[in-house]
Amino acid sequence: MNVEIAGLTRRFGRTQAVAGVDLSAGPGVFGLLGPNGAGKTSMLRVMATVIPPSSGRLRLLGRDPGGYGPRREIRRRLGYLPQNLGYYPSFTVAEFVEYFALLKEVPPARVPVAVATAIERTGLGDKARARLRTLSGGMLRRVGIAQAIVNEPELLLLDEPTAGLDPEQRVAFRALMRECGEHATVVVSTHLVEDVGAACTEVALMNQGKIVFHGTPAELIARADGTDAAGDAPLERGYSAVLAAARSTTGAWA
Amino acid sequence: MTAALVPAPSRRVPLAAPARLLRLELRRNPMLWLLPLLAILFWLGVYRPAMAGPPFWNVRATVLQHAVLFLGPLLAGATAWVGSRDGRRGLTDLVGVTAVPRWASQLATWAATTCWAEAVYLGGVAVVYGVTAEQAHWGGPLWWPAAVGAAGVATCCALGFAAGALLPGRFTAALAAVLVFLALGGGAFALQNNGTYAQIWPLNVQDGLPPDSYGVFYPYLPDLAIAQLMFLAGLAVAALGALGLPAAAGGRWLRGAAAALAAAGLAAAGTAVGLAGTARLEAHGVVIPALHDVASDRPVPYVPVCAHSAVPVCVQPAYRSYLPAVTAALGPLLEQVAGLPGAPVRVTQVAVTSVQQEPSNGVQLGGPALSGSPPVLYLPLAGLSLPGEGATTAQFIDQLRSEDATMILNSVIGDIAPAGQAAPAGRARVGGQAGARGPASVPVRVAPGAEAQLAIETALAELAGVPSGSGVPSGSGVPMAGRPLEAAAHRFAELPAAARHAWLAAHISALRAGRVTLSEIP
Repeated sequence: MNVEIAGLTRRFGRTQAVAGVDLSAGPGVFGLLGPNGAGKTSMLRVMATVIPPSSGRLRLLGRDPGGYGPRREIRRRLGYLPQNLGYYPSFTVAEFVEYFALLKEVPPARVPVAVATAIERTGLGDKARARLRTLSGGMLRRVGIAQAIVNEPELLLLDEPTAGLDPEQRVAFRALMRECGEHATVVVSTHLVEDVGAACTEVALMNQGKIVFHGTPAELIARADGTDAAGDAPLERGYSAVLAAARSTTGAWA
Repeated sequence: MTAALVPAPSRRVPLAAPARLLRLELRRNPMLWLLPLLAILFWLGVYRPAMAGPPFWNVRATVLQHAVLFLGPLLAGATAWVGSRDGRRGLTDLVGVTAVPRWASQLATWAATTCWAEAVYLGGVAVVYGVTAEQAHWGGPLWWPAAVGAAGVATCCALGFAAGALLPGRFTAALAAVLVFLALGGGAFALQNNGTYAQIWPLNVQDGLPPDSYGVFYPYLPDLAIAQLMFLAGLAVAALGALGLPAAAGGRWLRGAAAALAAAGLAAAGTAVGLAGTARLEAHGVVIPALHDVASDRPVPYVPVCAHSAVPVCVQPAYRSYLPAVTAALGPLLEQVAGLPGAPVRVTQVAVTSVQQEPSNGVQLGGPALSGSPPVLYLPLAGLSLPGEGATTAQFIDQLRSEDATMILNSVIGDIAPAGQAAPAGRARVGGQAGARGPASVPVRVAPGAEAQLAIETALAELAGVPSGSGVPSGSGVPMAGRPLEAAAHRFAELPAAARHAWLAAHISALRAGRVTLSEIP
């Protein structure tokens, strides 16, 4: 298993963003669904080693990120796309991706090919020499994805990767996720259930810092059976049903 | 994959990762945009003042060291802006989860920014020294002041970068610039108030000595520059070490190393301040006993450049361009007295012989001296305003005549006894004080036997063009008729030069002894 999480919590002051999550994931595309404020981004930031967990056990790629040495090894094999991607406006697309390839310790001899491949896989080949300041929001998002995959990561964490992408790009990106998921663990945090349906082999639904559902997309769809859950698509109805059930248990606002 | 993107196979050895990172940072560094502004600041604040002064290597080097005052605040602000880049751009998370320690990537960014700043400074140094090489008559570039300037540039960059990286904010860049400016200005105030430790101030070059008093006759004393380099390097290392202290900067060992580096930097800076506290000002520069190399006390050998007038006038070859002015200043008087007892047989430029620190941290320099047998006029030009250094050639000549003509006349004609004393009476003299640069005084009354001495001295001063108020009773343009003394002086001045010199040669002993009366003057 590339991701092994047991009893993981993360607090920000009095707020508990992640409340005792147990999760494990191997190669494949793992969808993390949930409403705003469910704790998806905090969960992803913990998994990306941006922030340490407050408590619980976390093992990534077979290593404990608590120690600096293992954490550095994990980071070498990690790809991360944050929800809000910052960028250096004066860098070109190729330079930005190269910069992160170097920071991820991609061997220098492999950097040019790795950069070219990542740019090509995200469909930015004709924009490789364009300054980032000249790109649209969707293109910047693809640049973010390119930097995340430049080191061919074994663990790829994507926070809202398809936000800002047009339908054509989204379809292409789902294909890319599936391709990456063949040999890596791809964790995708998203609001868009169609992304999950199209690309994910496993899905977890978070609510109020807890995992309230963990299974396949088909199992999530099945949760809507016999309910009058709202939604235009089967996955949406499954999502709504699980969420409604979770809220009725905790008494939270639906 | 597009053809444009796929790198062509190459046999070149790929650059190491740090070199590639540095190349990227160099190529996209915001400092590139500031290069024209930095170049303009260098031109206005360094190049123009340097070129306005005489073409002495030490003078130009001093101005180069002062470049930090003009470049430092802007560099600190710019590097603070660069240092806060990730915070401002929302990239902290993304760059924080890469394998390369954050500290290492920050150092690469700082290094690239500093490279551009140093390129401007060192380019400027090359231009100033290149022009000086064309203009100077003697000597070579002084590297210590340039090194202090370069270290100052790097330190301003390090302090600014650390401020930006550790305290990213909208106003950090502006604050860093203002604080560096205030620190540089505050050092000047501390030094003016005679702060012993303030000598470490990086704009301080040889503690107020005139630039032409060091690094010419004796090697440039690097003691203070070494302490300043240690201080600046210590500050830079401490600032860069501080970058490695936050938890996100790297592992425990790396942060330990950063803490050790910061502590070592602070210790080096503190040691340098302590060393500056032991500094003492000597005639050829600032001496710090712990850093002083006695080999630096040996004079620099040189072949003097001489003007072959009635009395040879020789200067250090660096002053070759001032030889005509020195000859013009002293030549007329030397022609009058050449060969007479007490007259100098040679005028030779010497280094400053003594320095006295004043309470306001100014310095008083030893002045000219006429000594030896036969007498030689030892002439330090340091402390005078040289032509092109705030004075015109005419003013320079007047300065020299005021100070040195009186000394020569006193040596030839003898000291003039004041009223009530037999002549001659020790060193009660007409003119300025021998051995120190300073104002002269004029006695109102003299002993009866000294009137002839005074009349001859007045006549010779008039002929030599010694300006009035320089210690000689009368000067050019002052009417000398109407009284017996002035009439005698006027009469003597009207004689043909040969007759005047012949009379002086025949009567100089009697004149010095006060045995010549006014009526005996032809």
